[in-house]
Amino acid sequence: MKYLPLVWTAVMRTPMRTILTLLSVTVAFTLFGLMIGLNATFDLVADRARADRIFTEPRFGGIADNGMPIAIARKIAAMPGVKVVTAVNFVPGYVQDPKHPVFLVMLDGNAEKVVEDWPISPQVWSALRNDRTGIVMSKSQAQRWHKKVGDTFTMISKAVRRADGQNSWTFKLIAIGDDIAEQTNGYVFGNYDYIDKAKPVADQGKVNEIDLLANDPATAPELAQRIDRAFANSATPLQTTTDKMARSGKDFGGLDVKAITHGIALAGMFMVLFLTGNGIAESVRERFAEFATLKTIGFSDRSVTVMVVLEAALPCVLGGALGVGIAALLARQLPGLMPPGFGLPLPTVSPLVMVWAAVSAFAVALLSAALPILRLTRMDIATALSGRT
Amino acid sequence: MNILRQIRIVSLINFKSVRLRLWRSLVIVVGMTCVIGVLLSMLSLTKGMQKAYLDTGDPGRALVVSTGAQSEGNSSISRDKARIIMDAPGIAKAPDGSPIADPGMNTGIPLARLNGRKSYINLRGFGPKGVMLRPEFHMVSGRMFRPGTRELIVGITAKTQFQGMTVGDKVILPDGEWPIVGSFTTGDLLDGQLIGDTETVMKAIRKSSYNSVLVRLETPQSFAAFKKALTTNPALSVDPILQSDWYKKLSEGFSTFFNVIAYGIGGIMAIGALFGCLNTMYAAVAAREREIATLRAIGYGAVAVAASVILEAMALAVPGALIGAGLAWLAYDGAQGSFNSSIFKLTVPPALIGMAIVWAVAVALLGGLLPSIRAARRPVVEALRAT
Repeated sequence: MKYLPLVWTAVMRTPMRTILTLLSVTVAFTLFGLMIGLNATFDLVADRARADRIFTEPRFGGIADNGMPIAIARKIAAMPGVKVVTAVNFVPGYVQDPKHPVFLVMLDGNAEKVVEDWPISPQVWSALRNDRTGIVMSKSQAQRWHKKVGDTFTMISKAVRRADGQNSWTFKLIAIGDDIAEQTNGYVFGNYDYIDKAKPVADQGKVNEIDLLANDPATAPELAQRIDRAFANSATPLQTTTDKMARSGKDFGGLDVKAITHGIALAGMFMVLFLTGNGIAESVRERFAEFATLKTIGFSDRSVTVMVVLEAALPCVLGGALGVGIAALLARQLPGLMPPGFGLPLPTVSPLVMVWAAVSAFAVALLSAALPILRLTRMDIATALSGRT
Repeated sequence: MNILRQIRIVSLINFKSVRLRLWRSLVIVVGMTCVIGVLLSMLSLTKGMQKAYLDTGDPGRALVVSTGAQSEGNSSISRDKARIIMDAPGIAKAPDGSPIADPGMNTGIPLARLNGRKSYINLRGFGPKGVMLRPEFHMVSGRMFRPGTRELIVGITAKTQFQGMTVGDKVILPDGEWPIVGSFTTGDLLDGQLIGDTETVMKAIRKSSYNSVLVRLETPQSFAAFKKALTTNPALSVDPILQSDWYKKLSEGFSTFFNVIAYGIGGIMAIGALFGCLNTMYAAVAAREREIATLRAIGYGAVAVAASVILEAMALAVPGALIGAGLAWLAYDGAQGSFNSSIFKLTVPPALIGMAIVWAVAVALLGGLLPSIRAARRPVVEALRAT
């Protein structure tokens, strides 16, 4: 600590250099925060994934097909090891123009047990059950469609036929819920029963997805395989995966998120390493004689080393802290900046991200200071004092 | 003295002294290398994917999907409607007088990627006119599937992303395994897909309606008549669209998304590099203080001095950007890429390299401007006196 005044004087000797270095480091760490934060979001989603939750959908045929018979849900519910089953129907469509797609998920009465980790209160679930046309939106979706609780929400769906021949659906927004990391586009959900009964009789009793909980998380992967096997030779072969399996690994449409984010963060770090390394080398070179004086009056190699490291660390640590702070602020603004409807998760500037930023900042500082320190410890004091270097 | 000549002379003197400021100058080079390397690597994905989509669309063909469908996957066209569509005017005719049109199907088949993760590959159906519609289609090895049999052929790049995609492998479909009997190329997105006989695949996956109808137009002008016939027919609710426009529309969706990310990240990095550039150029101006003052004293103008500073920044930034572009090109141009179920080649086209130079010039201009003003404004006497 006693070196701080000395370090401060050194840093403020060339304020322009210090400020520009600081800004550069700040920007690099903003990028670092966003990239490693994005990585952290994938970790968070993987952590939140429940080991006992299982999703199953028809193996062949897309959303345009009507779905599979709801009888499959009953058959699965009767299988040993299954705790609770919920039927899910999708209503893909758009608001006003096909350019504004929206995707509704229709859930039956068991949903609150299967997705009990969603930030939806029992009151909201029961309000939804009491209002057939009710829907619940995440904050991001409510923001996107400019809706508040009590508003009606009208959408067009060409994929889901209505018994009355119309293709517009009108819902009532009864609650707005917090967003969930894994639902990267936000969510809108309503009542399965309402949508099912509004379809022509021939289309009723169909589901697009079945979600369930296993009695025992340990046997969930085995249960998933058992479900696939049970329906392999039926009219509707299934594709079943556990929540854990679906969300582990950092994969975005086949892109390796970890490699990409780390690569970009590293490029940013390399860029500032070169800059800070140069800055500190230059600063030491300019003050070579001063360091010689310090050593003459009894400063040890160790104290000189500490001073140089502190001088290098100051912009790195300060810039790192500022950069990560800006990244955290930016991450919150991103939904407004990104084109809507794309499901890239938002970066989460978690404590672990901050730890990594701190580690990287110190690493950059140490690496930048390494060569100048080597030079200082090996200096010939007499030559340096004479200014002949 | 002519101003251009002045700028040339001052800059030459300047460049000769860059060697003395080598490490600090390298900050600009390395900075731009990082910015452009990252930016172009990211854009190589968008550009490659875009190119594959645009290559797949042919303005001589029209695609018919159900109204409002955003993808072939969520379009549905029943058999009777497909017959009406194929009878519409404007469709080119085969030698036997039948329309060159093919009602097609398209579905995702779950498969394991090379890294073991579950993903989907596109399984497309070809009917009797499937090949006639696509002159770009060629068999590469093995043989074509036989209509009516449970056989598939695979595009040549599918095996770069998915397991079990070579001739002789088997693909699991609802009632049993289907052998891959041949491999083909079209030079576009289909190279990453599986193809089987439309009716046989539909029967197997218990699909009753087609996804879309693809037709070859008689002439490019006949699209208007074709479109009018379909959109005015009350029995149909379909969107006819030129196939080239369809793929252009599809590519716009993901392009916007990836561009926002790539330019966002590239922009942030460029700001960092800009501060580095400012830093270097201020230091350079400080180091050349007496030299600049001397030049000014013997009659060189402030503009020449200022210009030399900006030119120096450019001379460092542009090679840096080119190195970055070169690295991105070496690493990614022509490499196999994939996003969701699309497989394509990444590309770093010359236009991107041109853009890299523009970015470098912009960073150098912004990063050199303030230091150059300082250099030009420094009172000569004071600077000469400085040690």
